[in-house]
Amino acid sequence: MSAPATNELPGTAERDLPGPIHHKGPGPAESGWFDPRHRGHGGRGLALHRITGLVIVLYLYLHLGVLSMLLIGRSSWSSFLSLVTAKSFLALEAVLIAAVAFHGLNGIRVALVGSGIAVPREQGMFWIATALAIAVGIFAALHVLGVL
Amino acid sequence: MSDRTDNRRFRVYRYKRGDGAERFDEFDVPVGPHSSVLDALRWIQLHLDPSLAMRHSCLHASCGTCGMQVDGREELACVCWVQDQGTQITVEPLANLPILTDLVVEMTGFFERFPHAHPIIRSSEPPVSEDSDAEATAHHAEVALQTDLTLHHHPLHHLHRAAPPAVDFVRLEDCIECGLCLSACPVASTSHEYVGPAALAAAERLLEEPRGVKREDVLAWASRPEGVWRCHVSFECTQACPADAIPAERIMALRRQLMFGENDDKEKER
Amino acid sequence: MSTRHDAHVLIVGGGATGGGLAHDLALRGLRVTLVDRGELTSGTTGRHHGLLHSGARYAVGDREAGVECIRENTLLKRIAPDSFECNDGLFVAVCDEDLEYLEPLVEGCTGAGIPVQRLTAAEALRLEPNLNPELRAAVRVPDATVDPMRLVLRFFATARHNGADILPYMEVTGLLVHDGLVSGAEVRDHVTGKTGEIHADVVVNAAGPWSGKVAAMAGASVPIAPSPGVLLALRGRFCNMVINRMHKSGDGDIVVPQRGLSIVGTTSWVVEDPDDLSVPEDHVERMYTEGSKLIPALRHAARRAAWSAARPLVGATGAATGRELSRTFQTFDHGEREGIEGFVTITGGKSTTLRGMAELCGDVVCSKLGIDEPCRTAETVLLPHTAYYSPLAA
Repeated sequence: MSAPATNELPGTAERDLPGPIHHKGPGPAESGWFDPRHRGHGGRGLALHRITGLVIVLYLYLHLGVLSMLLIGRSSWSSFLSLVTAKSFLALEAVLIAAVAFHGLNGIRVALVGSGIAVPREQGMFWIATALAIAVGIFAALHVLGVL
Repeated sequence: MSDRTDNRRFRVYRYKRGDGAERFDEFDVPVGPHSSVLDALRWIQLHLDPSLAMRHSCLHASCGTCGMQVDGREELACVCWVQDQGTQITVEPLANLPILTDLVVEMTGFFERFPHAHPIIRSSEPPVSEDSDAEATAHHAEVALQTDLTLHHHPLHHLHRAAPPAVDFVRLEDCIECGLCLSACPVASTSHEYVGPAALAAAERLLEEPRGVKREDVLAWASRPEGVWRCHVSFECTQACPADAIPAERIMALRRQLMFGENDDKEKER
Repeated sequence: MSTRHDAHVLIVGGGATGGGLAHDLALRGLRVTLVDRGELTSGTTGRHHGLLHSGARYAVGDREAGVECIRENTLLKRIAPDSFECNDGLFVAVCDEDLEYLEPLVEGCTGAGIPVQRLTAAEALRLEPNLNPELRAAVRVPDATVDPMRLVLRFFATARHNGADILPYMEVTGLLVHDGLVSGAEVRDHVTGKTGEIHADVVVNAAGPWSGKVAAMAGASVPIAPSPGVLLALRGRFCNMVINRMHKSGDGDIVVPQRGLSIVGTTSWVVEDPDDLSVPEDHVERMYTEGSKLIPALRHAARRAAWSAARPLVGATGAATGRELSRTFQTFDHGEREGIEGFVTITGGKSTTLRGMAELCGDVVCSKLGIDEPCRTAETVLLPHTAYYSPLAA
């Protein structure tokens, strides 16, 4: 008294196939960290830390490129100077300064918390880092504008 | 639900194997003041579309099977209240795990990440108490020292611990293996090898309470590249956790053990 | 372990009953396929408060149930180690009226072989400081707490690793019946949307409160009265032991700790349709009121969730509350009952007795198939629940 094998069942083969995997964020999987929507302070802090890190790296390359202009000669250096002493450009520098401040201060937070030190105060540390970075940025902007 | 007084539009992710097409279906659902997202989904299944597949079991945030993304946030659908959401509610399966069908993800990959030893019974702490004179017990203080935890962010932080009972009680581990932490983790989307918060939290629990597991084995398991060092300290996991598993804090405690563990041991010996 | 017999059994229903039976039959070497329209334990099994009965609750009114309980309680702790909070339970008298139940309770437990220990109020409060300070007396019994889904998943895990095909999201839409013989089921696979048929030598209806609906697909009937009750989960672990009210079964007379929550249960009424259960707010309020008679702090505890679950009670339909119906389990061989061969229903009972129910049904199924295999579930330690998700050995 035997019955046919269960391989006549609908769907048994399809159940073993790999299925689609959803990731957060609109782009490819690797960009999942970037999307700030539906995240808490920590996830946004991570995104900001990476973005400021990228900005700083970009700035470093820019800076090296600029310094290499010194090798070219006086005229290119002068035109370059007029660009970078413009108010609009200096305003960008204020943003850079805020980015460096945030990356550095949040970096201290990540280094401490990530070693298991002061973990219950991690949220407080994040907001202090953010507040200080904004303050530094505002001070730099006001300095650029000649107010402070 | 007997007293349905309101209507909400649900936008639900659909995927059936075989035809391979992913889409969103829209349903108008009557809801009441105490309706959960799961109640609404089960109403859809019962009255509009019996082919809608989802996971659920306990209906009270204890089994961990009904994890989903509601409007992009990780939630247990059974305790995600419709009244707290907007007029249109989008429901999708969890991220970072393969989807079987509709709102069902395959949990095999989630469980494969765990350390080999996975005891679910642990020693119990003293019960919570309303008595404001009750002081933190020596046991609780010792636990706090090991992992630097407090109940600060916890919804019960106004309660205290009662004095320890005369008997050693046991209880189930806090982690309900729901996968919300893995879905929320920004690193898990980039790295499929990363063991993830739940597995690391389970390893830290083995350090806190070995239950026969060797400390060196746990530390060796955790300090692999796809282990504790992949974490980037976003705390999204603890934020998403519907139980009290506090995975982020446990990952930091694990890292502390790996970095300073020998020094801590020497302190205790003195 | 591979199948030793050609006979194929199709089990309809992926709860405790189905899981216990799949494990039992797989150990006896039969080919088993189990289907459920949804996730495993998503019917009634996953929803209960997680009490592993000592049997004390039934020892007074239903001695048979008490004896079954303590036997299965002890067995389960042996075959599923590391699944239970073996903290025991207390029956607590909070008023003088409750004290009248004390002697019958102790006698009932002793008669049913349930270990019982008398405690003074002071001893009880030392064990559980959050108990009602007005309590008069208490007795201690070997109740335990369990995660209902994970315990049953251990049965499924072991069955899978012994060759059973476990298929959630596979809904039975009809049974294949011809000339008084059930030869299988029509199914719709919710993973692909496709339909098909599963053929089997015996179909077992283990659909819990839906057993009546499934039986009707074959033109058979079972006296099932789906009997829901409301449960309330409150934030805060206020006790480690199970706390029962020392009186005859009533609403809100139990508090079960579940991780960081305290579950208060339950109420009871009878319905026709086990789907779409309501959660009456006055029942929730009753849980707060009755629960706080046992543990006063529950009065102010925050609500995590309130839900209903339908017990599959066996007996004559037409009962008003469901408490009058027996909680024992029964197997119905529809060949004997209605001349419909190849079809068996197993129903009733409660989670604590799932292994025993499966043994009884396994014996019936094997005798129908002419297979002589003893039940081995009492000696077989179950795989951990995580093994359900791990790949099967090649």
